[in-house]
Amino acid sequence: MLSEKAVKEIEEITTRYPVKRSAVMPALFVVQKEYGYVTEEGMREVAKILGLRPILVFEVATFYTMYNKKPVGKYHIQVCRNISCSLLGAEHVVGIIERKLGIKVKETTSDKRFTLSEVECLGSCGTAPMMQINDKYYESLTEPMIDDILKSLK
Amino acid sequence: MNELSTDNHKNSSSLSIKDLLKKVFFIDLIQGLFITFNYTFTKTITERYPDDEKWIPYKRFRGLHTLNRNKEGKELCVGCELCQKSCPTQCITVIPMEDKTGKGIADRIAYRWEINLLRCMFCGLCEDACPTEALKLGREYELASFSMQRQIRSKEELIKPQPIPVEFEGGVIVRATLEKGDKEIKVKPDLSVQKRWW
Amino acid sequence: MATVKINGKEITIDDGTLILDAAKTAGFDIPTMCFHARLSKLASCRVCLVEIVGQKKLQPSCVTPVMHGMEVLTESPVVKSARSSMIELLLANHPLDCPVCDKGGECELQDITFKFGPRQSPFGDNKRRFNEEDYILSPVIVQNANRCIQCKRCVRICAETVGVGVLGSIERGAKTGETSFVREYLDCDHCGNCIEVCPVGSLMSRSYRYKSRPWDLKGVDTVCVYCGTGCQLTVQARKDEVVRVISKPEEGINNETLCARGRYGYSFINSIDRLLVPMVRMGNTLEPTTWEDAVRAVRNGLSEAINKGKKIGGIASSRLSNEELYLFQKLMRGVLKTNNIDSGSRWDTAAVKTYAEIMELSKGGLSIYDALNTDTLLILGFGISDENPVTDYIIRRISGNKKMNIIMASPRGMKLDNSAVLSIRHNPGTEGVIIGGILKLIYDKNINSLKNLGGKDYLKDLSKEKVSDITKTAWQDIEAASGYIMASNTITVAVGSDVLRVPSRIEFLRMLIEALRILGKDVKLFPLFDRSNQRGALEMGVHPDILPGYNFIDGDGLGADGIIDAASRGEVGALYLAGEDILSDFPDGVFAREALRQTKFLVVQDILPTETTEFADVILPGSSHAEKDGTFTNGERRIQLVRKAIEPLGGKADWETICLVAKALGIKNMEYSSPSEIWDELAGLAPMFAGVNHKKLEPDGIQWPCPDIDHPGTAIMYTEKFNRPNGKALFNFREHIASAEVPDDKYPLILSTGRRRQHYNNGSMTRRSNAIFNQWPEESLELNPFDARRFNIKDSEKVLASSRRGEMEVKVHVTDRVQPGITFLAFHNRDALTNLLTNDALDPVCKIPEYKSCAIKIEKLNGHK
Repeated sequence: MLSEKAVKEIEEITTRYPVKRSAVMPALFVVQKEYGYVTEEGMREVAKILGLRPILVFEVATFYTMYNKKPVGKYHIQVCRNISCSLLGAEHVVGIIERKLGIKVKETTSDKRFTLSEVECLGSCGTAPMMQINDKYYESLTEPMIDDILKSLK
Repeated sequence: MNELSTDNHKNSSSLSIKDLLKKVFFIDLIQGLFITFNYTFTKTITERYPDDEKWIPYKRFRGLHTLNRNKEGKELCVGCELCQKSCPTQCITVIPMEDKTGKGIADRIAYRWEINLLRCMFCGLCEDACPTEALKLGREYELASFSMQRQIRSKEELIKPQPIPVEFEGGVIVRATLEKGDKEIKVKPDLSVQKRWW
Repeated sequence: MATVKINGKEITIDDGTLILDAAKTAGFDIPTMCFHARLSKLASCRVCLVEIVGQKKLQPSCVTPVMHGMEVLTESPVVKSARSSMIELLLANHPLDCPVCDKGGECELQDITFKFGPRQSPFGDNKRRFNEEDYILSPVIVQNANRCIQCKRCVRICAETVGVGVLGSIERGAKTGETSFVREYLDCDHCGNCIEVCPVGSLMSRSYRYKSRPWDLKGVDTVCVYCGTGCQLTVQARKDEVVRVISKPEEGINNETLCARGRYGYSFINSIDRLLVPMVRMGNTLEPTTWEDAVRAVRNGLSEAINKGKKIGGIASSRLSNEELYLFQKLMRGVLKTNNIDSGSRWDTAAVKTYAEIMELSKGGLSIYDALNTDTLLILGFGISDENPVTDYIIRRISGNKKMNIIMASPRGMKLDNSAVLSIRHNPGTEGVIIGGILKLIYDKNINSLKNLGGKDYLKDLSKEKVSDITKTAWQDIEAASGYIMASNTITVAVGSDVLRVPSRIEFLRMLIEALRILGKDVKLFPLFDRSNQRGALEMGVHPDILPGYNFIDGDGLGADGIIDAASRGEVGALYLAGEDILSDFPDGVFAREALRQTKFLVVQDILPTETTEFADVILPGSSHAEKDGTFTNGERRIQLVRKAIEPLGGKADWETICLVAKALGIKNMEYSSPSEIWDELAGLAPMFAGVNHKKLEPDGIQWPCPDIDHPGTAIMYTEKFNRPNGKALFNFREHIASAEVPDDKYPLILSTGRRRQHYNNGSMTRRSNAIFNQWPEESLELNPFDARRFNIKDSEKVLASSRRGEMEVKVHVTDRVQPGITFLAFHNRDALTNLLTNDALDPVCKIPEYKSCAIKIEKLNGHK
């Protein structure tokens, strides 16, 4: 069950739109914040609050990659792999992180702290290569920087 | 022709005494027997079928249909009914069914696969149509039986391993034994003893 | 009008026509994949691309309308290569397991690939796979997501037409697939329309799974037997086994949609319990016998009843064909000289007269599409989504495309509520009072214009409080309804037969219609029927007071309840039931049992063993609709052909059996070679059918009247005024009578009964289909969550439900489809004979047994037994 606060938050979001249905995306972010990922139960509850059929919420949740459909670690590392970052060594960045954490892309460390994933452009091409950890951007990455970042998170 | 016939005419009149002698002493017969006698020392070309020998046809032969299995022993036939569709004499009946036990290569297998040999003309179109190479016209050609019912062959029989393996080249005569059953007469080949007839 | 050139051919066509349709008119076929004529346009497959001269990019013809002066090329090299590439892309991820796939042979992708596609593919990568094994999505659907080509037809039909919207398109890009919410087991209509529209083998029917190939099937176009909508469908049989039912996109009013009953309710035809040989009672048992002996026994039984001067009665089911019903009434009236004849609907003269007058049945009516060309649609007295699902689909589809206010008045939640602007929930049996309330509001606002409204005095004592009290409906809802009605110019009133099954002031409906007409509004009437040939039964004269062709007589005949009543007093010497299971249909089961016991001689002609056949003296095997030719008349008076798919399993079609009985009774003029001959005889008797013959009925049927052979039939037909000398209706008014049994402290709940979407009548037909049976295996009592808390009962718990007459154990289904204080139980299940509980109070006006409601109590089972 969603907490009362989350339900209230979703209800508050719905007031911003002329049609309740429009609130489905922010509502799903509330769910993601609540559970760490978009759960089946969460989607059902969003559907119930917004008066939608569950399948419509499911369609939205699976369409966008920023909704995690599976549990993620405490720190979700999303490395951009689009053209600018790729040219400046995104694969290299992924390689370093994989080595350091001992996991592959889409995997979570056994202590449930880190999840690594590759994502499409995050809109920070000027400072490539970059990655996003939870809500924070880390830009113009170099190997020592990655080291420091990962250490600071541990 | 004319020249030849006059020759003969001449010969017959001039050699009449020789002919007479030939007839008296059975020269032709002796010559014939000599040839026959000579052949007793050459290799035989007749086939002692069905008592001792049997001809195994080549791989390309189109005999009784067989339904094959793959290497893991799964039925290749998926009951797609394409053989039935392609059959010009409409002698094949296929009824598919769902099977989740892994009997076949897919979850669809043939529940019934029947061929009416009375109508079949062994054209091989069914074999061409088969998408899984399950159906093959085999090398069995002794199809006579004592009952009409026996002429409708079903999957249960056709899917059994054949007496002649697919890899066997064929084109040979092998030793065989005649087996008289109640329903039909079979000639059972022994592939280990074989000979080429030419 | 726009003039366009298509491949050099110039045609003139309406503005806004799609290029696709224009090309078809010009004689060029453009292949399509995602396009579906009756769904919203998606244009995602790009197979229908065409070249428009002057435009650089190719355009999808399924969404691009024509413009004046446009030049379209559908067969240019660019188009051909684009089309071929699109098909290649569709095939890039589509597995080539056609030999296994059930769609093989009728697959649209297969067809267009053979016609237009490339014969090779450069794509060497692995195809995407969602699942290794097919998975089961619902009792009727099995899915193989790998084969999906993302046309979204299933998603669209599920949301737009069927209205359950349980299918969706998940993920994106190359991974897109169509499935249910987290691939869960579906809780939907199980109608199978998604399977029907799937162009490939992604969604497949479970009951048809790996049964056959389309080329093995012999199909006949016929009419569905399950409700009055009259859907056209194709019954397909392999050898003598019916393996599936499909429908054709361009035929019939249903246009490819079918409901679960129509699509999967065919298993009874080849059921192992079919009655196949005639049986005659020898002492206590029924012994199989020959047709000759059985018919002789029928003759002896009927003759004995005649000789002894006892009454003879005949009840025929309204799922028999018109021809059979006509013969049945001819047998009853002409041979046995009795007017004691009725169809299973249990209407007597008063009821039929009221309903026929109000709905103007004898004068024709409208086709459903004309009826839906309206501003406001008021649906009343009918569980439309459960009883006529396809009518529900048609209404939803039409209302999605245009502005139409749907007002649903129903005691129970209906699926159509989700398309309605207003859903009125009311107590069972108070439909008339709801109308009264609406009428009162309209009258009060237009007192001057409605000065001459007949029967207006009855409105005086109808106060706001009284209406709310009787109907348990919020007054605002009635106000809103009258608001919608007053704001519209055209109003369609769709009324089902339920209004006549309950004591109520249905005369208000007549007044409302007249009032609206006085106010200058266009009122269209649309009757809804729950049985396939209910209208036909009335038209064929299977009714004590109607002769074929709506010739009303004032006879002395008894209706079905009259016959049963007489039987219980031992007055009936012989009773002939043709296809009718009176024991599970009749409101008071205990009473009907006693009546059948008192009947001297009972002939039952039926296809399946029922409660009633156990009482029979002679059983004559009947034939299902797939085993005979004939016609059905649907709710919109369209006469449609029923055709024979397989030979009668019992050896004789029902009409042959009736003829045999007549022959045995010494009648000469009842021998026919085919149903078509019977129809011709009957067409000679009724002027409205005069121009109809079987040949003319193909493919879509004819709406009577059709007075001569060149007449095409009449689609719209109704008159502005009532057919009375002074233009006003006669009133047969009675006060609202409260239900004969109102809930009290001892029996606190109202039990209302009706039908479920999945089943039909006594369920003897639908329950034999696994696909349907699995959807609703056990009857359960619907209970509002509020009452569930009140009585402390959980969902799926077994309870003992008892009324003043009987009791039964039943499972509880907690749902908000029913209002607090009301419970619902269907009467389809032989194990849960609902009519042992219900009430047999006859409505004083209509004499309709009060089938809809009685008072019950429920108790927890544990501790009780």
